[in-house]
Amino acid sequence: MAIFNAPFWTFVGVIAGIYTILSLGLFLQYAMAGLPNFGHVAFMALAAYTMAFLVIRFGAPMPVAILAGLTAAVLFSLLLGLPSLRLRADYLAIVTVAGGEVVRYLALNLQDITGGAIGSIGMLGPSRLAQYNTGWDAMLAGFSRVLRPLFGALASRDFAMLLIVWAIALVLLGLCWVMVRSPWGRVLRSIREDENAAAAVGKNVFGYKLQVLVLGAILGGAAGLLLAYEIGVFSPDDYQPTFTFYAYLILILGGMTRLWAIPLGAILFGLLYAGTRFLDFYPLSLIDSGARAFLRLWAVGLLLIVLMAIRPQGLLGNRRELLLGR
Amino acid sequence: MSALLQVDGISRRFGGIRAVDGAAFDVEAGSITGLIGPNGAGKTTAFNVISGFLRPQSGTITFDGNRIERQPAHMIARAGLVRTFQIPRVLTRMSVLENVQLAATRQPGEVLGAALIAPRAVSRREREVRDEAMQILDLVRLSRLANDYAGTLSGGQRKLLELARALMTGPRMILLDEPMAGVAPTLALQLLEHILERRARRGTTFLVIEHDMEAIMAISDRVIVMDEGRVIAIGSAADVQQDERVIEAYLGRREAQPA
Repeated sequence: MAIFNAPFWTFVGVIAGIYTILSLGLFLQYAMAGLPNFGHVAFMALAAYTMAFLVIRFGAPMPVAILAGLTAAVLFSLLLGLPSLRLRADYLAIVTVAGGEVVRYLALNLQDITGGAIGSIGMLGPSRLAQYNTGWDAMLAGFSRVLRPLFGALASRDFAMLLIVWAIALVLLGLCWVMVRSPWGRVLRSIREDENAAAAVGKNVFGYKLQVLVLGAILGGAAGLLLAYEIGVFSPDDYQPTFTFYAYLILILGGMTRLWAIPLGAILFGLLYAGTRFLDFYPLSLIDSGARAFLRLWAVGLLLIVLMAIRPQGLLGNRRELLLGR
Repeated sequence: MSALLQVDGISRRFGGIRAVDGAAFDVEAGSITGLIGPNGAGKTTAFNVISGFLRPQSGTITFDGNRIERQPAHMIARAGLVRTFQIPRVLTRMSVLENVQLAATRQPGEVLGAALIAPRAVSRREREVRDEAMQILDLVRLSRLANDYAGTLSGGQRKLLELARALMTGPRMILLDEPMAGVAPTLALQLLEHILERRARRGTTFLVIEHDMEAIMAISDRVIVMDEGRVIAIGSAADVQQDERVIEAYLGRREAQPA
């Protein structure tokens, strides 16, 4: 593949935007309120499956399906949070890891509903191909026609998607920025630092934790819906636990407690992850492509280790804050 | 004067240990009351129970006429009864100023989304909160460090910051758990002055656990003595010092001592 490949880099840009939204959810939960959510990917999966199921089986209109998808993610966050948020943070970590895997295995095994291992395309059974994104694609096609006078040949379907994803991401970043800088954000950070101290000055710790858990679920769900629309077909394999850790990686790369570092971290991660595809020159070209794919992941890991060694606080992070962490 | 806090027969066991075992006492409104007793007497557990961090297994607690023994900690704090911790719980990766601002009451901006819907009201209150917080930091001589991370403070400064945070809530009553332990003598003296001044100006009630007997005897109107989870004596500083049971609790039983 040529390195100057517009569709490929547009795809990388879209994915980086989706990762930004996903990581923003974790930012609120973990970087602000200190809630370790290791099953963030479950919110993506639930929103995507709910949306696709309603469209494919019941012909639900797109806005209804989107809302239902987000609602499913919220309900799941309540299911995980209500019993575990009153306990120590460790319990939420365990519950979310398990919750994430439960969702993936359910998707894999409830074949009649989810299409099983083949994924969304099998939601109508093996004989008919199921599609959930005709509404979204029509919207994209319309939008790219509007963009054509402005951008000419550049205004492809992918380009329209890129603009939409990043517009959503920037709006969400902006809203969250205002909120985390407000007294509400101050309470979240106090819970991260010491929830007993927060309770001792009258803050309803449980209530705040529940709020960020739900907000994070909405953001995770939104990322899941956008990813589903971007890739067109999804299966349980798309919701491996590693997905959650990529989102953490983005927070760490950017600088844990810095909100505007999230898009930067997401772009850097996208470049590292996708850019290493182009490591196919001599002598690497001597290795077959399968082995090169593994080598690539290895290279990504090495790069991350080097980055962390040089700059443990991330791109925009604050080193003093890191050193003060208990 | 009337009782602001009434503790009646509270008990709290941990496994087989009765940390608090039917303790009962009243604290008069506007008073400074000392809570003393040897190590393991149940003083801190009593604080944890009163402030809602632990549920009592029996007994009742009445604050300002309302039963609070089943209320969660944050509701008790909002009712005007706040506490500090023996080992100060400062928010290390937040600034000293933020530590105090956090404790502000009536900040509408603490509601989810309020900063988006009513930014004016939030920032108006925030300016007041900031001024108030700076005044309180001035009082405890920490204003110079307002923008430093609280994690950089010394142990004694952390004690002062905790006091500042408690004062910021505008409480009717403060439970102080060893406010002077680990604080430099000059600072400790200032701390005592703050307590006396706050009581004089606002009528704030204090219940203070302290091992520094001289200090506690100097500022307390009354002293409650606990031993083995029970209250064994209540009275003026002079009275409890003469009390047989108190002397026994601290020094051991007379017959057990070598002649």
